[in-house]
Amino acid sequence: MEKKGISSQIFKIANNMGAWLIILLVGIVLTAATDTFLTYDNIINVLRQSCVVAITAMGASFVVLGGEIDLSTGMAATFAGCNTALLMTKMNMPIFPAILISVFVGCICGTAAGLIVTYLKIPSFMGTLGIQYVIQGMILITTNSMPITGLPEQFLALGRGYVLGWLPIPIIIMAIFFLVGTIALRYTVFGRSVMAVGENAEAAKLSGLNVNLTRIAMFTVCGFCCAFAGIVQASRMSSGQPGSGTDLSMQALAAVYIGGTFKGSMLNTLAGALAWSFVNNGLNLLGVNAYWQKVALGIIIIFAVALDILRARLSTAKH
Amino acid sequence: MDETSEVLRLTKINKSFPGVKALTDIHFSLQKGEVHALVGENGAGKSTLMKILSGAYTKDSGNIEFEGRNVEITSPKFSEELGIATIYQELNLIRRITIAENVFLGRYPKKGGLIQWNKMNEDAKALFESFGIQIDVKQQLRSISLAQQQIVEIIKAVSMNAKVVIMDEPTSSLTTRETEILFRIIRELKARGTAVIFITHRLDEIYRICDRMTIMRDGCYVGTRQVKDITKGEMIAMMIGRELTQQYPVRNVELGDIVLEARNLDDGGYRVKNVSFSVRAGEVLGFAGLVGAGRTETMRLIFGADKKAGGQILIDGKEVRINHPRNAIAHKIGFVTENRKEEGLFLRSTVRVNTVMAALGKIMRLRWFFDFEKEKEIAKDYVKKLNTVTPSVNQKVMFLSGGNQQKVVLAKWLFSDSRIVIFDEPTRGIDVGAKREIYEIINQLAAEGKVILVVSSEMEEIMGISDRILVMHEGEISGELKKEEFSQNLITEFAVGGK
Repeated sequence: MEKKGISSQIFKIANNMGAWLIILLVGIVLTAATDTFLTYDNIINVLRQSCVVAITAMGASFVVLGGEIDLSTGMAATFAGCNTALLMTKMNMPIFPAILISVFVGCICGTAAGLIVTYLKIPSFMGTLGIQYVIQGMILITTNSMPITGLPEQFLALGRGYVLGWLPIPIIIMAIFFLVGTIALRYTVFGRSVMAVGENAEAAKLSGLNVNLTRIAMFTVCGFCCAFAGIVQASRMSSGQPGSGTDLSMQALAAVYIGGTFKGSMLNTLAGALAWSFVNNGLNLLGVNAYWQKVALGIIIIFAVALDILRARLSTAKH
Repeated sequence: MDETSEVLRLTKINKSFPGVKALTDIHFSLQKGEVHALVGENGAGKSTLMKILSGAYTKDSGNIEFEGRNVEITSPKFSEELGIATIYQELNLIRRITIAENVFLGRYPKKGGLIQWNKMNEDAKALFESFGIQIDVKQQLRSISLAQQQIVEIIKAVSMNAKVVIMDEPTSSLTTRETEILFRIIRELKARGTAVIFITHRLDEIYRICDRMTIMRDGCYVGTRQVKDITKGEMIAMMIGRELTQQYPVRNVELGDIVLEARNLDDGGYRVKNVSFSVRAGEVLGFAGLVGAGRTETMRLIFGADKKAGGQILIDGKEVRINHPRNAIAHKIGFVTENRKEEGLFLRSTVRVNTVMAALGKIMRLRWFFDFEKEKEIAKDYVKKLNTVTPSVNQKVMFLSGGNQQKVVLAKWLFSDSRIVIFDEPTRGIDVGAKREIYEIINQLAAEGKVILVVSSEMEEIMGISDRILVMHEGEISGELKKEEFSQNLITEFAVGGK
């Protein structure tokens, strides 16, 4: 009896921690195995690397919680990064309007995906796959497939700067996004509607929720997040890189699933994104060959999601 | 009757489910080349009996004789091998492969391990032609009509040498013309010596196509008759002949003014045609009729869940526009749907989330943000009021029993201040005790002056709780009964299309 009590306590804690548990485990192992892991520089570096994926993943979370999927997030991010770079360099636009326009265009990309999924009734997997190629084409057309360099110094602060000399600006941006995202998901009609539509669209409709508007809005919010992530990315790389977003969509989705966002908290997505970066970092520190790292990451995704499914089944079976 | 021509004989079949005795000592016999109707109210046990024959359920006791020898039907596969084929309302065909493939699914003609497509198509074509049907067997199943798909299923059964074909309400979704084609095929089956068990609610069809009929009621065998020797009145009496029991709490409410009025509701000629009625405050208006008569569809039109093609809805004498459930809720209408799991609840969400779902605006703080404390208090309040059994308001509703889930749905509509509450099959899948509680809640709502619309296929229930009953038949209101006129005979007569 006593034993069962303890194991169920442990289970409960593990259940609530989700992907944070992965981060904790990786942290313990690496602290023991290397002396470079638990240093200010390394940790800050990992956090900074996570920002782009994390913000994109937050956008993707709304879509996934709403019962759909978005494969175009990475491209939308890249598009926004390149657009900002183009507007600032080729058109000599000041930083602020350039960002504003690019974010607006990002929202439009998301809205377009939402409209297609909602009104043409195309499965979001296919709809956003199509959108992804359209956006990729637009990127290649506008940039001629060449990186756009020579971005203004102040703009680079967005991805590379520090506040108080030690706190990187992108981490602050990420924190703000997740604060707002958490509140939006938990405390607003929008968040509740997204979850309701994702769980049972018919019941949501019959409860008077605006299902179509919710679907469109979640894609728009996703587009907004992606655009912002892409701009941070461009700033970090000091250039608009037309080819930078190919993998980002998948990483964002991986973060959502590894994090177990279905439990209904945006912080799980953050955990998923951070777990991904920490594992990456760990493999680097341990000197694992870059090609093998890919293999390892793939396996980790499968394990993390399998574990999450097992966890969900156990917590259901407990009743 | 000639003993040698008997293909199937059931004696003293019994079947129980946890808490329910579904079948008691059922007898049934079937002759070669006979079309035998199986009739009874919803829930009389017809489907259960047929599922025992098709191997979906196994009987608890009793004897099944097939072509003179005793058999134990233990699986659908065994039933199929015996030669019993069942044509369900939801067809068991694959839409994206051809008609010929569907007919020969799982037993494609092969040579050296490869499928002989030409042979298969030719065989299929020959089969259809032997029934006088010209059809391109190479087209995908989804490109043909539902009626044609049903014919494909029957042909498939024939090609498997079925000796008994069970048809579960085959005409419920067919047009008159399509029904004719189906009847032609049934006659052809009959001529070949195949026996057909024909389940239907349409008594006219029994006279047209059936030789004998067996009547069931409440899981019991009532009798078997030659169709030509029985009148419609006798049929209905045999189907329903039982007394009303006192499980319905008494209600004494003064009716108020007319609150809701529907005028000429129409969904464009599909399921709802020219439906008009009005209801007063404190009144419980029942909608009776057969499954598929258009009752649920009428409710969905009132609630704005489906698009109206015509008609008006008036509340307190003023016309209101209801194009979406949102509008209906704004006009204080609530809808307890027939399928609470699919349409009413968020099963993986908690009791509290489900309770506030139709009135999120009422738990806001600073206009934009939820007040979780308030949400919790409200949910607790309704749990107490409706006597919902749940460990806490944070319990996921998937873990609640049917009756308690129904109370959560009800809480949702009470919290959204509904004064017109639509109940569609309010006690489906709910045990007897919880049923009575639901009836009491309905009474209480009526006493508070609310308007209650109840759709129910359970004859006793609708007569037990309604002040007035409208009967629907094929999308139209075919009759109206005041409380003192309530009788099962009358309702059934209206339900099957009048006298």
